Amino acid sequence: MNPDSQNFDSLRQLLALKRHEIPPPGYFDRFSRDVMARIKAGERGGAIGSELSWFQRLLSAFDVKPVFAGAFGTAVCAFLISGVISSEQTPAIGSVAPNPGNTSLATAAVPVSMSAMDEQPFAAPSNSLAGSLFDQFQLETRPVSDRFYLPNGN
Amino acid sequence: MREAAMIMTEPISGKSGNALKRLPEDEKEDSTPAPVEETELVARARRGDLKAYDELVQRYQERIYATIYHMTSNHEDANDLAQEAFIKGFQALKSFKGGSSFYTWVYRIAVNKTINFLKQRKNRSQMSLNDLDFNAEHDPDLVALVSDKTPRREAGLSELQEKLNEAMQKLSEPHRLVVTLHDVQGLSHEEIAKIMGCNVGTVRSRLFYARQQLQGFLSDYLK
Repeated sequence: MNPDSQNFDSLRQLLALKRHEIPPPGYFDRFSRDVMARIKAGERGGAIGSELSWFQRLLSAFDVKPVFAGAFGTAVCAFLISGVISSEQTPAIGSVAPNPGNTSLATAAVPVSMSAMDEQPFAAPSNSLAGSLFDQFQLETRPVSDRFYLPNGN
Repeated sequence: MREAAMIMTEPISGKSGNALKRLPEDEKEDSTPAPVEETELVARARRGDLKAYDELVQRYQERIYATIYHMTSNHEDANDLAQEAFIKGFQALKSFKGGSSFYTWVYRIAVNKTINFLKQRKNRSQMSLNDLDFNAEHDPDLVALVSDKTPRREAGLSELQEKLNEAMQKLSEPHRLVVTLHDVQGLSHEEIAKIMGCNVGTVRSRLFYARQQLQGFLSDYLK
């Protein structure tokens, strides 16, 4: 089959029009400059890449080889689990025996039940802060608004 | 065949077009730029000499751009793809074995990039056509075509340009590429076969089919 054996002259005349389509003036003067600038920018990007921090290099290694990412994730998980297990085997730091002479923060750390707070919202908690470090400040509870409680009894 | 190649005897366009005047088939091999100089430029570019690569870009930029532009009918897309093709060419220079000319090799990169782009673009085909140069109004073929073939339609060159590009976009990518490279760019069947990585017979049959299709799409303008 010979494509030129048919009469495609008119079509080829028309296709000649495409040869007259030209880009904006000065386009090709800028073209190679743009290409070179992009190549140089890419090379500079490569040079900067060599000066990346160890963390960025690690991340880029993960991008390239996901196996590394999986191994790293497994190692981190194993480290965390071993840390949790070993912390359960050692005595708890906050479990100090109550001492009458030394009313420590451990006593103050006893949670006040919410129901008790609901019943007497402005009353000082019984015992909870007695003899604690806060005593020296003479803590006094006052209502926020006079509407509910007036000190002179009115 | 010989006549077909003889018809187009003007340079493709601009400064680098001088290197590729359309000549009879048996003289086509001489139309490529001096191979020694190109080989030397490629060797220097492979060693990282950007000036040498700049020279190569300037030598082929118009042909590469034009091919991509005729494939996409969009100036912005053609600009991006042509730049990317040359950048890819520079990055891949180390893999260039020299089995073909640099020009064929970079053409292949550009064509592959363009076809991949067009496959992704598919239904988003917005044309952004370049202006016609001043010579178009005085091209005897085109003047005859407009005045003789379509007098009652009063089709101006701009309308013809639009219809032609629309018809080109209706062709499949391989058929559009063959028409672009042969009928617009003036490459030989052998060169097109090298660029497309197929045999000459395939190029010929694709060209025939593409022309038939175009003739059907543009029948109103070719009576």
